[in-house]
Parts: sequence; C-alpha cells; structure tokens
Amino acid sequence: MLFIAILIGCILGAIVGINVPIISYSYSSYLAIAIIAALDSVFGGITGTLKGEFNFKVFISGFFCNSILSMLLTYLGNKLNVDIYLAAIVVFVGRMFINLTIIRKYYIDKWSEKYQEYKTRKANKIQEEQK
Amino acid sequence: MKKGKISMTITIGIVCFLLVMIIFMQFKVVRQSEETNINTMQEAELRQELANWKIKYEEAKEKYDETSETLKTYKEESTSDNQTKETLEKELENLEMALGKTNVEGEGVIITLNEKTEKELADEEEITPINAQDLIYIVNYLKDAGAEAISINGERIVNNTYIVDIVGESIIKINSKYLRTNSYEIKAIGNSSYLESSIFGKGGYVEQLNTTGINAKIERSNRVRISKYEGDFETKYMQEKELETKK
Repeated sequence: MLFIAILIGCILGAIVGINVPIISYSYSSYLAIAIIAALDSVFGGITGTLKGEFNFKVFISGFFCNSILSMLLTYLGNKLNVDIYLAAIVVFVGRMFINLTIIRKYYIDKWSEKYQEYKTRKANKIQEEQK
Repeated sequence: MKKGKISMTITIGIVCFLLVMIIFMQFKVVRQSEETNINTMQEAELRQELANWKIKYEEAKEKYDETSETLKTYKEESTSDNQTKETLEKELENLEMALGKTNVEGEGVIITLNEKTEKELADEEEITPINAQDLIYIVNYLKDAGAEAISINGERIVNNTYIVDIVGESIIKINSKYLRTNSYEIKAIGNSSYLESSIFGKGGYVEQLNTTGINAKIERSNRVRISKYEGDFETKYMQEKELETKK
C-alpha cells in the first residue's frame, strides 16, 4: 500500500514536473536548496524508520519546514550578498551522508548476521550428516 | 487498515509527488540554462555552434556583397543622371541667353540718337522728337539684319517687350520703364556690318531721321555688352495645351 502511494506520487510528480512551464533561472537556486532539504528529510525519515524511532509528524514538519526555511535563508543571503545557501547545503548534505552511513551500517549488520546464521546452519547440517 | 495509516500513506504520496515534481522542474531549468551557457558546452557543441556562426557569416557577407553591388549600380545611374543634368543645365543656359535673361557680350554696334542742336539744323528743318515709332523701326531693322540681342538705354528688348509713346509728354515706355530723354543709345549684337548697313545704308532709316532733326551715330565694336532683362516672364492666363487636330 505504502509502495503504491510512493510510486503513484513519483510518477505523477515526474509528469507534472516535466509539463510545468519553465521557471526563470534566478529562482532555480531556491528550488535546488528546497530539493536538498527535502532529500535530507527523506533520508532522515528512512534512518528513523530503521532505528524504530520514526515520528510521522516530525518527518512531515521537517520536510516542509526545512525546505521553506532554506529557501528563505537563500533569499536573505541574496539580499545580504552572502551565500547562505552554501551553509544550508553543507548542513543538509553532511546530515545526508551521516544518515546514509547509518543506513549502510544497519544493512551491513543485518546481512552479515544473516550470513553468519546461514553459515552456522550449514555447518550444523554437515555435522548432522556426518553423524 | 487503520485510519491513521491511510492518511500517512496519502501524505507520503503527496510528499513524493512534490519532491519529484520539484526535482524535474529543476532538471528542466538547468538543462535549458546549460544550452545557452558556453562554459558548460561540450567541444562538439562548440564546434557545431562555430560552424553555424560561420554559415551565418557567409550568408551575411553574400548579402553585403549583393547590396554593395546594387549600390554601385545606383551610383553609376546617379552619375549618368548628373550627365543629363549637365546637358539640361546647358540647354537651360542657352534658352535663358536666347530669352535675354543673361548678360551678353559680343560683336555688334552701338547707335546713338540725338536731337540736333540749333546750329546743326539746316534751313527749314524742324526737330521732331524721337518717338516710339522710330525706335520700333530701328529695332525691326536690326532684327532683320540678324541682331541677336538689342537694348535701348539699357533696356533689353525681349519677346514681350513693347515700345509705346506716352501721349502728351515726350516719354517712351519700354518694358514698363519710362524713358524721359532726348538721346537714345541702342546696342545690338550681331554681324556689325550687316547691322550698320541695315540702318545707315542708302535709303536707310537714318536718312529719314536726319530730315526730322535727329543725329544718328554708329560705333562698331567687338565687345558690345548688353545687360539682361530685369523683369519676369510670368504668365497668368495661358496654359500649355496640345492642339487638337482637325478631323
């Protein structure tokens, strides 16, 4: 059910995104920073799910608030002639890497456990056959 | 399925929708801006662009050559126009000279008419003042002898010149100017011997003038100067029209 919703959302989003009229280049930096913030929230959500401490409200609010806040910061940076969006990107991408590391470690642990189990089971089988 | 789970699924779908939509929009913008950004172009693209510009340049050059060619022809035409203009101007000059609109100089005669003083008068001679008739006769004789330009006391004789007496006073009106004098100087350009013989020849008009108390002298010159006609050739009533041929 969840996968179907994600799939439909992605397909619809791709169709609409391709057909929407092109926004002007000056606004594309806001869009980019919003994308980075949203992706950070998504990875954070995945990490939370894996850890078992996923909170749906926190995820949604983080998704939207981070995007909007990063856009506002970028706007402010434009006005102040300071590249604030660089700081936002550093923070978001850094967190993304941390989350990716957590996810990777989780799956490596999981799979190595499984492999260990498989190995011991096989050894047991061989032992039983030898007996 | 729980109600909370449904709403969560829908929300996640919406989130996915928004995220993917924004990502694709950004892709589009970046792709479009890359097309116009020379820094991010590949070498092949740059080459293509260069070739396009070359073609455009060649086209523009061709057009330029064509235009300059036409310009050349126009210039040539204008020079030929200049030639026609020159001939026209020459023609106009000739016409103006013939009309009497220019100062002219040439071989000719200067005739002076004076009333005789009383000492010069022969017996039983009376002075009859010079009148318009005398001048008209002289002018006509001169014209008959081939005079090209005539003036009386500086008044040029042209095609619309009239010479009339103002009745009651000894005034002659020529070209709307009043001459109140007893002596006249008539200049004429032409073959001087023809001109002289036409008036001073035997049985000429001068003989007749002498009998009425007028002295006439003639002076030949190679450089008779006659000034131009000062008036205008304005026409008010007549208009140019081709004559209808009779059937």
